[in-house]
Amino acid sequence: MKAFVRRFMSSPEGIAGALVLLLLALAAVLAPIILPGDPAAIVGRPLLPPFSDASFPLGTDQLGRDVLTRLVYGAQASLTVGLSSALVAILAGTLVGTVAGLAGGLVDEALMRVVDAFQIVPGFLLALAFVSVAGPSLAVIVLAVGLGAWTGPARLARAEVLSIRERDYVASARVIGMHPAEIAFREVLPNALPPVLSLVSVIVAAAVLIEAALSFLGLGDPNAVTWGGMIAEGRNLLRSAPFLSIIPGLGLVSAVVGIYLFGEGLVEALSIRGRRA
Amino acid sequence: MSIPEISRRGLMQSTAVLAGAAVLPRWGFAQDAMQGGRLVVAADSEPRNLNPAIVASNGVFYIASKIIEPLAEASFDGPDGLAPRLATSWQGSDDGLSVTFKLREGVTWHDGKPFTSADVAFSAMEVWKSLQNIGRTVLANLETVDTPDELTAVFKFSEPTPLQLIRNALPVVSSVLPRHLYEGTDIAENPANNEPVGTGPFVFAEHRPGEYYRLTRNEAYWGDGEPKLDELIFRVLPDRAGAAAALEAGEIQLAAFSQVPLSDLERISANSELEVVTKGYEALTYQLIVEINHRNEVLKNLKVRQAIAHAIDKTFVVDTVFLGYAAEATGPVPKNAPEFYEPDVTQYPFDVEKAKALLDEAGYPAKDGGARFSIRLLPAPFFSETRAMGDYLKQALAVIGVEAELVSNDAPGHLNAVYKDHDFDLSIGAAVFRGDPAISTTNLVQSGIPDGTFFSNQGGYANPEIDKIIAEALVTVDTQKRIELYDEFQKRVTADLPLINVADWGFTSVVSVDVLNVGNNPRWVVSGWADTEIAA
Amino acid sequence: MHRAWRLTKRRLVASIPVLAIVILGTFLLMELAPGDAVDAYLVSLGGGDAGLAETLRQSYGLDQSAISRLWLYVSSLARLDLGWSIVFNRPILDVVLERLPNTLWLMGAATALAFTLGSLLGIIAGARPGSAVDRVLSIGSLTLYAVPGFWLGLVLILVFSVQLRWLPTSGIETIASGKTGIARVLDIARHLVLPVASLGFIYLALFLRMMRAGMGEVWRQDFVLAAKAKGLSRRRIVIHHVARNALLPLVTMLGLQAATMLGGSVVIESVFAIPGFGRLAQEAVAGRDAPLLMAIIIVSAVLVILVNLLVDIAYAWLDPRVGGSEAAGR
Repeated sequence: MKAFVRRFMSSPEGIAGALVLLLLALAAVLAPIILPGDPAAIVGRPLLPPFSDASFPLGTDQLGRDVLTRLVYGAQASLTVGLSSALVAILAGTLVGTVAGLAGGLVDEALMRVVDAFQIVPGFLLALAFVSVAGPSLAVIVLAVGLGAWTGPARLARAEVLSIRERDYVASARVIGMHPAEIAFREVLPNALPPVLSLVSVIVAAAVLIEAALSFLGLGDPNAVTWGGMIAEGRNLLRSAPFLSIIPGLGLVSAVVGIYLFGEGLVEALSIRGRRA
Repeated sequence: MSIPEISRRGLMQSTAVLAGAAVLPRWGFAQDAMQGGRLVVAADSEPRNLNPAIVASNGVFYIASKIIEPLAEASFDGPDGLAPRLATSWQGSDDGLSVTFKLREGVTWHDGKPFTSADVAFSAMEVWKSLQNIGRTVLANLETVDTPDELTAVFKFSEPTPLQLIRNALPVVSSVLPRHLYEGTDIAENPANNEPVGTGPFVFAEHRPGEYYRLTRNEAYWGDGEPKLDELIFRVLPDRAGAAAALEAGEIQLAAFSQVPLSDLERISANSELEVVTKGYEALTYQLIVEINHRNEVLKNLKVRQAIAHAIDKTFVVDTVFLGYAAEATGPVPKNAPEFYEPDVTQYPFDVEKAKALLDEAGYPAKDGGARFSIRLLPAPFFSETRAMGDYLKQALAVIGVEAELVSNDAPGHLNAVYKDHDFDLSIGAAVFRGDPAISTTNLVQSGIPDGTFFSNQGGYANPEIDKIIAEALVTVDTQKRIELYDEFQKRVTADLPLINVADWGFTSVVSVDVLNVGNNPRWVVSGWADTEIAA
Repeated sequence: MHRAWRLTKRRLVASIPVLAIVILGTFLLMELAPGDAVDAYLVSLGGGDAGLAETLRQSYGLDQSAISRLWLYVSSLARLDLGWSIVFNRPILDVVLERLPNTLWLMGAATALAFTLGSLLGIIAGARPGSAVDRVLSIGSLTLYAVPGFWLGLVLILVFSVQLRWLPTSGIETIASGKTGIARVLDIARHLVLPVASLGFIYLALFLRMMRAGMGEVWRQDFVLAAKAKGLSRRRIVIHHVARNALLPLVTMLGLQAATMLGGSVVIESVFAIPGFGRLAQEAVAGRDAPLLMAIIIVSAVLVILVNLLVDIAYAWLDPRVGGSEAAGR
């Protein structure tokens, strides 16, 4: 653990990423305390530019809603979408990969063909089709992103399981008569998980961007304030009120870059780079 | 891609009044006009069927009206608000059972065949009455069309039919098709639906899907010295920001139906090469409405509906959602239909306290920290304004203690939820006033309409007295009596609130200053453009 | 060549069950959709009565059971008949073939841009890991990666088309210009500059970072150490030893990115009004054209299979060690 921390601290990118994420997480968690306002509330004159009115430091949008409040709540929603998507993808992928790796034979073959099928369909097309069918809500968007992202974790988990299951401790567990499911959860899974976790940052970043693209196509969640949705709404005003898309854009870019760098620092610290797919 | 019809097609004289400055039509004599030239305009969608006789929608008219003409077009100064096109006069019988049209002489189809009364009779019986979305209602009682000679068509009805209604419907309903290309074929699938042949000022030349439609000058057009342009191109630009950019880069000369976002207009009007025009939509009024599901026990209560009406700040909606390019609505008929508009109706001024009191009276008291009741609110996805209205109404309802959950659907999802499955409490919709209440307005409150009929009363509202007025007006031939019936209709609808009319809006065009004769009739964007020209 | 043929055959056979899963999955997804193409069409009419809807549904076979429609669908697919598009009222195959070339040009050019520029910058960054140049390049490319594609596209339009008027705002070629031959090719190229830049810049970061990481590994290998010991110049080592060996994994990346780029083209083609395959997908979604959307998903799956096959063949050719093994591409 100590070695891990030391290695992580030796990567300036990792530290920078961690700092950005910490800041965003703080903003997301503290949002209701710092800014008690409702991000959807119409509070002022529409399209006030930033720094022109002390009560709306970052200005107001086309309906007169406070941009700062929306930005902070947007952090919450966007990070939630990202993390939940990653959670869904990792859980589903690890489960399928572990089952395939442990079962082997026909089950493995069938499951891996399903993984192949999901991998050759462009993830964004799948998300587009799924959201248009199931209706746009944050939960559906999370599932849609998960649907396109679970194959990576599945492959990694399967590969890990295949290599782990031949190792001594698994063999001895089998000898002492442990149930296969127990072996899977107690012995194999904990060891297979860390390399899979290295994919979290990639999935989170992709999820935030996919949500933005869906909003652009009019398939965002109307009840939620997200950065992607804010950028998409502001795009028609790119020249009259550029701040409406630039401000959430800065948030989104710093989050994605932060997540990515943090993930890379993590991967380096875990020194699993060589095993990444 | 946007939804063809509804996607931004609209209207409104009051808009012109509101928007003040940049709205006068520009008449040709101010500048020297160049004969010929190419006009490139933006189109935000490509209709699957380009036949306006079957699909009487503004998305189709926008392109097809340049190729296929109606019997008469809407006009600012013509008698009955009409200007003759393929018909030169129309006369109704006193019993309301027949209307006689005299047709224009010397008109030929684009393929050289002569235009005659047989074409009109065929279009009316086989297409307008049987296939067309609007004609199926308006011409339901049409029995036969007699053609005593080549230039006379006599419409015979089984029930008395007001000439006023027929006249008002003419620009929308009466696009004439060439009988010789359609007779004996499967009309709905005829190839001419995608490569239309008409009598209009422009001839269909080609369609490159996803890119453009190209129309060329009809050398044999009946109008003297018309058309002025050599070539007319509709360039497909699905994204709204893209249309504005193409205009500013000088790649196109016109974007209609508010394809340039309202919020960009102030900046655009500072551009000396471009002009914002609100004229040319007066007969295409769109109405922002709150549709109500009367199956919901709470909303069935008139006091609750009144409270909702009082909670809506119409001034805010007009100023913020429409940036002033709209007018506050007072009832189901818009102000810019002066023939029918009745101002003396029940009004619901913005009054939060009154709204709260009404809810208390109705038995839905305010609860500490909780909502009085919750409803699902479905904003129609057709326009950015209907979506924005959804955001606003959610807020406005929160202020009076009503919690609204926004449910967003794409167009088919919304239509199914509201008009077929009735799976909504409130819906933000867009209705179109098509010149006469009987065409597409009364059906928003009338009962007994089959489930699944879009843009009709699917909220389960039934009021026998209103139904009776609607039925009577449909067969009242006397114009004055008919208008009085519709006055009564407006009073009853605003008193009982089967739906809430919030705002009436028209669209805007952004046009290069070089384009002349823009907006010179109330349906300009969807009319023939025979006199449109480009300044030298 | 014999080996490439064996590889091709094996890959194509292996992809049959995968495609079957794609087809079944897409069909199931479409079954779940509320509202069908007839509803979407009626919106475009601005209304219509229930009788009209029923007639239309019958004529499109939408009133039959799911099983019989699936059977009908699969059997016509087997005859290479993709069905009839409800939105376009034309055979889907025609529509797809009309749109596909534009997207292939866009993707091909964007991939070339991302690959060459990405690996080049990756070499520069990886030549001196940890240097200021390295940091700037990796953060800069990551930032481009993090900018939503539609926003980048719109900004490029405003700068290069509206302000500077150097390039057209949108479209694939000048409308009805009558240009042919070289003039037409140049015209299309001009129209593709901004969309290719928007799409390519996004994926540049992936190639850059992979190249840089790959170089980091190669630096530590024996032959590089040996080259260093021989006193070869740093530039020579970077170009002849390190970069060359790090380039190989990037080739497999090309295959993996094919699906992602195809997805990215949906948004870019909408922004630039390019009549391509991606925009077709969006039009299918908006028009609830289930047969079209299914065909798009299936065709893009086939496309991704083919691109990966090409990449595998290229890889096997570039790196003789790989033989015909399964290692590549998957």
